[in-house]
Amino acid sequence: MTDSETLVRLENITKIYGTHKVLDSVSFDLKRGEVHCLVGENGAGKSTLIKVLSGAITPEDGEIYINGNLIRSMNPRKAIELGISTIYQDAELVDSLTVADNVFLGSEQTGFLPFVVDKYRQFQRIKETIDALHIDLPESSLVEELSASQKQMLQIVKALHRDSKIIIMDEPTSSLGLQETEALMEIIRNLRNQGIGIVYISHYLDEIFEIGDRVTILKDGEDMGTYDISSIDVEMVIRKMVGRDASMFYSKKNVPIGDVQVEIRNMAKSGVVEEVSFSVRKGEILGIGGLVGSGRSEMVSLIFGVDKPDSGEIILNGKSVKIRSPRDAIRAGICLITEDRRKYGVLTGRNVIENTALVHNEVFRGPIIDRKSERLLTADMIDKLSISVADDDQKIEELSGGNQQKVIIGRWLLDDAVLYIFDEPTKGVDVGAKEQIYELMTHLVENGKSIIMVSSDMPELLSLSDRIVIMRDGCLVDILENSGVREEDLIRHFVGVDPKMGGTKTNGKPKKTQ
Amino acid sequence: MGNQRKHSDSPTQPKRIAKAKKPIYKNQWFFLVMVEIALAIITGMINPRFFTTSNLMNILEQIAVLGIISSGMTMLLISGEIDISVGASIGLASCVTAMMIRSDWGYFLPVVVGVVITIFNSFLVGATSRVFKAPSFITSLAFTSVFRGIALAITKGSFQTIYGKFETIGTTRLWNILPLSFIISIVAYFVVHFILSYTKLGRRIYAVGSNPSAAYLSGISVTWSKLTTFLLNGLFVGIAAIVLLSRIGAAQPSTGSGIELKAIGAVVIGGTPLTGGKGNIMGTFFGVLLMGIISNALNMMRVNPYFQEVTFGILIIASLAVSVLSSYRKGHFSVRKPD
Repeated sequence: MTDSETLVRLENITKIYGTHKVLDSVSFDLKRGEVHCLVGENGAGKSTLIKVLSGAITPEDGEIYINGNLIRSMNPRKAIELGISTIYQDAELVDSLTVADNVFLGSEQTGFLPFVVDKYRQFQRIKETIDALHIDLPESSLVEELSASQKQMLQIVKALHRDSKIIIMDEPTSSLGLQETEALMEIIRNLRNQGIGIVYISHYLDEIFEIGDRVTILKDGEDMGTYDISSIDVEMVIRKMVGRDASMFYSKKNVPIGDVQVEIRNMAKSGVVEEVSFSVRKGEILGIGGLVGSGRSEMVSLIFGVDKPDSGEIILNGKSVKIRSPRDAIRAGICLITEDRRKYGVLTGRNVIENTALVHNEVFRGPIIDRKSERLLTADMIDKLSISVADDDQKIEELSGGNQQKVIIGRWLLDDAVLYIFDEPTKGVDVGAKEQIYELMTHLVENGKSIIMVSSDMPELLSLSDRIVIMRDGCLVDILENSGVREEDLIRHFVGVDPKMGGTKTNGKPKKTQ
Repeated sequence: MGNQRKHSDSPTQPKRIAKAKKPIYKNQWFFLVMVEIALAIITGMINPRFFTTSNLMNILEQIAVLGIISSGMTMLLISGEIDISVGASIGLASCVTAMMIRSDWGYFLPVVVGVVITIFNSFLVGATSRVFKAPSFITSLAFTSVFRGIALAITKGSFQTIYGKFETIGTTRLWNILPLSFIISIVAYFVVHFILSYTKLGRRIYAVGSNPSAAYLSGISVTWSKLTTFLLNGLFVGIAAIVLLSRIGAAQPSTGSGIELKAIGAVVIGGTPLTGGKGNIMGTFFGVLLMGIISNALNMMRVNPYFQEVTFGILIIASLAVSVLSSYRKGHFSVRKPD
């Protein structure tokens, strides 16, 4: 293909958040009439790269060429003008308007009366597009009445009406059933034949081999190369996605593992988590892996009493416990260190003492606060976790991310518990603090506690867990003994590629049509 | 199992966190004190009668009721809630109490009934807000009309005078100088300070106001914490209603109207943001004092009472601007990072 065929060229794009390079000199190009896939683990930088292309974020370094022209400052409006449309998994549509109104939102068609929308004309114009795509999309129904796949179709129609030449699809099939996925593939082929360039992001590798022309692989923000689909196979893609050097792994001390201490039986909530059962032993760290949206965090909320399960039983030390709220869970001896510390952890505007002693004062003390004791306990915890704090009235939001995380963890260590659940324990935490948090977790299991750790960080999952639970689409699909498990094995389990079968989804998309 | 839990490691050797050395001038109330001193000096220069003992004691007497209401309102705002029906609630409670005193029910029972009414009213505002998941601003706005309407219906809009019957609380001057009502408001401030700083309830109030999700995940019942705060607020409103009735010696449905705005203004000027999670009683005390001094100064300078209303409105807007600007400085309002 000649150079005039190139729609997009991204050169050496670098994006930095804080001290962390989310994208490190990544290059990417898209030609007319091709489907170019982007693959990589959670957090590899796929979404960041397409946000750069759609103008949602500005990179620190690198150049963007659209149709051969260098674009100096990209923003979402300009991206649309240049013919770039992004189709998100959670569609940005107005639920209370009709299909046609959504398509023409912001560029309504008027008849001979100014300011009055000519609905008939809108219907006519949209019908042409819908017919050309051979899709079932009633133009006069409300968006809230549409199915997930119809919403996706609507976004495509909208993109075509904007005369888009470049369409970005971010995980378009994650909420679709098998048949709907097939229909989408058909539309994508159709668009490709019309000369539109498509950037396609998916966790499902078999889709990529079905639809893609080329594939670019990202790992921890690094560009692992671009390949023609015909010159590469699933095994090779997986190998490129993983494979980190030993320095990224933490070597955990061996801790003797005792009897079963925690049992989860048939925990289920319809549409979210399906009949999950497992047990955790004394001194054991049970890792939970899976893709984002596989139901890991949801399952943890069920155990902690945040959500009400449809069924399920929790057994601690042989006794069944009734948990109807986090308070019940805490009293029973379960702790949850949440993933989103800003949203669910820190008390903004309050000082370190109040933040540390929160659970202790609330659940285990009488109505009057013992200010001297909470002060001593906090001082002790600050010492033990080496949290750097200026003085006793420092507000928690003034601490660094790592120190905030340690305060939140410290909150749960003031009193003894049986089971500690860590949801992404080191997200947004610097390397030094990471190591300390790992040591702390090791210390907990040494003292006979049990830990459940949800993590998207592969090296973390592999270096800390004794066993790894694999979740996919709300189901527990396997529990692996963590001996000799490699990153690529995990990825294979997460996305559901059977190593023997090569490229098929063994347990693809169960009943998630709604 | 819960009771057997103990500290995982009791501190063997007491360690210390550095005590915060916050300079006094960094407190918002210090700024208020400065403004108040400046206002007093200016007023005193224009009208020297400002600095007479009797005038200063008058100020304290005038701000007593506002102070009691503002104490309860401080807790409510910190917990992230609001109640703008307190004025109407005072109107209803003082009318009922006055009518009962007039019909010779004695004093004790009418007072208890009055206080129970305001507690119940505040509870209604909080409960409807929780149950219907509506902001308490809206439910209290609706109840303002309900309370005022009931007061109008039972009094048929007439004045309920009890002159000379129930004056002790509102008009007594200790040692012939210090107003008893002011002492009552001081007690209210101390009670709120104790609750906020030394009790589990106080910690809950701050926690649910700062981050309700984090509070819930730490075992706090957000609903009960907020309802308790509403009940306490009702208690303070009730006491304020009784003090007010005793001082004026009469009640009518419009008694207390507009005081909710002054109370919210005093609390916000004192450094408690409407978004909750922050604030202390010291700021409220000086906020109330500022209201009192301004009101008195305007009288002393013979400013048209209608313009006094205008002044208070502008003052509250100004205090909101100050609180927003100070959070801007700290970067809390920074635009959400695209991520």
